[in-house]
Amino acid sequence: MTVDHAKPAAVGADRPAVKRAPAPKARRRSDRDGKWWTPWLFLAPALILFVYFKFIPMITAVTMSFQDVQPYLGNQWVGGQNYSTVLGDEAFHSAIWHTIVIAVGQTAGSMIIGLALALLMEGQSKRLKFLRSAAFLPVVVPIAVVAELWRIMYHPTEDGMLNSILGLVGLGPSGFINDPDSSMISVIITGIWRGAPYDMMIFLAGLAGIDRGLYEAATVDGASRWRKILHVTLPGLRSVFSILFVLAAIRGLRVFTEVFLLTNGGPNGSTEVAMTLIYKLGLEQNRLGVGAAGAVLLFLATLVLTLFVQVLRRRRDA
Amino acid sequence: MRKSRWIGVGLTVSALVLSGCSAGPAGTNVAQDTKAPLELWTRTTPGGPGEQATKRLAEAFEKATGFKVQVTAIFDDFETKLAQRAAQRDLPDIVMNDVTQLGTLKSQGLVREVEPGKIKHTSELTEQALKSNQTADGKLYGLPYSAQASALLIRKDWREKLGKSVPQSWAELADLAKAFTTGDPDGNGKADTAGLNATLSTKRGYASWYFSNFLWAAGGDFISETGGGKYKPAMSTPESVAAVQWFRDLGCKDNVIQPGSVTMPTPATNETFEAGKAGMYVVGPYLLPRFDKSLGKDKYEVVPMPKGAKNADVLAEGLSIYMMAGSPNQAGQDAFGDFAISVDGQKIGMEGESAFIVQLPVNKNVDITQVRSDPRWKTYAEIYTKSGHYAPSIPNWTPVRQDTADTISALVADCKLDLKAELSKLDTKLTATLQQQGISAS
Repeated sequence: MTVDHAKPAAVGADRPAVKRAPAPKARRRSDRDGKWWTPWLFLAPALILFVYFKFIPMITAVTMSFQDVQPYLGNQWVGGQNYSTVLGDEAFHSAIWHTIVIAVGQTAGSMIIGLALALLMEGQSKRLKFLRSAAFLPVVVPIAVVAELWRIMYHPTEDGMLNSILGLVGLGPSGFINDPDSSMISVIITGIWRGAPYDMMIFLAGLAGIDRGLYEAATVDGASRWRKILHVTLPGLRSVFSILFVLAAIRGLRVFTEVFLLTNGGPNGSTEVAMTLIYKLGLEQNRLGVGAAGAVLLFLATLVLTLFVQVLRRRRDA
Repeated sequence: MRKSRWIGVGLTVSALVLSGCSAGPAGTNVAQDTKAPLELWTRTTPGGPGEQATKRLAEAFEKATGFKVQVTAIFDDFETKLAQRAAQRDLPDIVMNDVTQLGTLKSQGLVREVEPGKIKHTSELTEQALKSNQTADGKLYGLPYSAQASALLIRKDWREKLGKSVPQSWAELADLAKAFTTGDPDGNGKADTAGLNATLSTKRGYASWYFSNFLWAAGGDFISETGGGKYKPAMSTPESVAAVQWFRDLGCKDNVIQPGSVTMPTPATNETFEAGKAGMYVVGPYLLPRFDKSLGKDKYEVVPMPKGAKNADVLAEGLSIYMMAGSPNQAGQDAFGDFAISVDGQKIGMEGESAFIVQLPVNKNVDITQVRSDPRWKTYAEIYTKSGHYAPSIPNWTPVRQDTADTISALVADCKLDLKAELSKLDTKLTATLQQQGISAS
């Protein structure tokens, strides 16, 4: 566009006289803008994979949620029966509640600790780089390893690792994941431990984008460190917050692996979340239709939440 | 020009990918081909001794019959992966998995009926093993390959140190468990040992699995048959309540169950016993090679579970060979099944000190004392014949096992729960499950 705009008169004036002029212009245009399908061509490999491993399974799941699934006997349409089974199931109600608790707990915890870590580790020093990498480690450790590690740390007797620390400050041994009263908070803590460094990295990127001048101005105005955080840092991180919130909330709603490996929903269903229940119903009990209905409901909840945050953001930006 | 050629390539590739993925196999009546290699899935650790033994069996079978077999070992999420293959309508030809999967596989139409007429060695099977593979109508939907039952493993060195004898009753069992917990049997001066090792995680319904060793001996049951293939829940009968109460007291009153049991699946539980943190463990024979190596053969003993209020029934289980639906080589499936249950097939499965897949033989003509000199195997064989108790074959045992596991695990985890209320809640759930499967008596 810029070239055309630069000499529009010249092109128009040359046309009658120089016949070859339009040709180079056309070539230049296609080189720059390309045909409409060029981007699609580049996207094709990814799209084909997505179609097969994401979209078709998703559509199949929706179909299955209305069926009694028996691949070798023939699937039967049962209408909304799977949905009423799921929605009428008390276990599903409490699983949804637990999912929300875990999502909120892990999202809030990871963001607060992530921000605190980011504020502490902001800067250029070599030592900080090492510290940042060390703090980021939980994110790259496979979740199966994380869960096994925490299971050992949560050992419920006095000689258990965390319990021996609790013992130092005079608190009795906790059952952690083995006690229905403390299992939920234990799972949340594991999730925060893993999620906070990830949030920290994004906060660090966001902090780098804040205008240094604002801090200097605040210093000149005599603002305390706390006031600077409150009035410069936090407003500067607003967009980071909303991105993190969506990411963390979706991560929270889909929580599965750490619960599955730490408690499998127990004890007494105290940590049963939507995903572990769907897994049990669909894949362990082979009631794929009922499991699919649960999955579709979870998908809708995630979709609604994401849209809600988007609308909220747009309204605030406008 | 150059660009349009690329587009062409792109379109061709996508067309290939599309057609390749959507072309699924046809229906269940597949054209037969006796040359088609048989795909065999077995639920065992990939690269482990179980896989070696299965390969050995497959090789011997190939040599004897000329059919070809490819062995795939899968341990994690076996049933999930099978369900995925079923959804693609492309099942392996043969699956070797727990006998309790029979109902699920049958009701989903994933296995074909075994025709005893085509498998001549069926007549040599022990009645107990054969029966475990039959559905209520007496039809055979799997072939037993290996059988097992639970025995009581006791830390012999601990017991002798504390001057106790082998428990002959449940009261003595509880007494020994208490001694193991409080008597510092490992002599390290710390109270860090437990009496009874138990798998009480809800994963795969382990808690239910483990507790069945106590429930049946006390005269209780998960569900009881009322005749004609109908069942009613039985977890709140006085016998079941007593069994749960007794077992729960071990955890809640006596504190003799190893800490953390309610979230421990089998691997973690096995490690507890190996690490010398617990003194007794009710478990099948498949762990003996492992414990011999890690703990030492002389450190523990294998004895039958003491008699409960009713008898000494313990959980019997088995490995079954399933002939999956939609196979292009049914003749090969039959031949494999026939070979595996024959005397030769059974002996091949029993070979070796650790790489064996047959725990107890299912063929009447195999005498375990002649194949294995270790007397502990004889103990297990006797327990199986005298007190082996299989879970009933209903259309889908998994929900029953999961629901009961949830409640058992919860009752041990939370000592404040009202036992009777929880058990009658469980019965309500079981009724719903039985109704859903069309086998409820009420």
